[in-house]
Amino acid sequence: MAAMARAATTSDVFNAIAEPRRREILVLLRAGERPVGELAQELGMTQPGASKHLRVLREVGLVRDRKAGRQRLYDLDARGLRPVYEWTGGFERFWNESFERLDAYVQDLKQAKEEEG
Amino acid sequence: MSATGGSMGSATADREIVISRVIDAPRELVFEAFTEVRHLSRWWGPEGFTTTTRAFEFRVGGEWEFAMHGPDGTDYEEWISWTELVPPERIALVHGEHRGDPNAFESVLTFTPDGEATRIEMRTVFPTKEMRDEVVEKYHVIEGGRQTLGKLDAYVTEIARKGGGA
Repeated sequence: MAAMARAATTSDVFNAIAEPRRREILVLLRAGERPVGELAQELGMTQPGASKHLRVLREVGLVRDRKAGRQRLYDLDARGLRPVYEWTGGFERFWNESFERLDAYVQDLKQAKEEEG
Repeated sequence: MSATGGSMGSATADREIVISRVIDAPRELVFEAFTEVRHLSRWWGPEGFTTTTRAFEFRVGGEWEFAMHGPDGTDYEEWISWTELVPPERIALVHGEHRGDPNAFESVLTFTPDGEATRIEMRTVFPTKEMRDEVVEKYHVIEGGRQTLGKLDAYVTEIARKGGGA
């Protein structure tokens, strides 16, 4: 059972970001690449714990790593969020953007009416 | 602006979509923007989309037949018929690709005063979860005409570059 859960997590970006600590890591990485020790410290985790999360994020393509001297730096690869973006990109996105335009248009209408007196 | 898959615990949660937004304008004005082609054509669809209306009669049982043009040149046939109109509170409509479309679905728009502003909510309940997924997929394709991968990359890169504190 545990093995199955892990297989799903490591292959699916949705499962990967369902874990709050991993989302926290992604937020920290938005500021730029960081070594695992810094991430662990900032999140109050052990280094092996942070490494485990980073491995999952790397396997779904959300995080890249590279060696820099003695340490390994982790970097966000937001292209990995594409499936999430696409999933939310259907009907909801269409209507959210329509409502955004509606809002702008209604502001114009309101202003026009105010100017009419 | 928000979108959710529906309220927790609701029996229809897995086959409904609720989208809402608060607009800083009186309810009558927001409602008005749904009642005439000259208004609807100014905002229907995301940025870059336009519409061409063939028929429009805003009354219960009336129809709006129009084509939606995507920025990539693709046209989509659309058909809407109103099933309930309660100005300025509520609009219920059926939305499909043509009259008699077996995959047409119903949306209910409610306009609620929120101080000086108006909260608009669009609740769409699909007959089945499969149909919900199908419609999401269809709109996904429509959106896809616009959101090329290149633009998406630019978008996510921008997100990535914004500070971690955001």
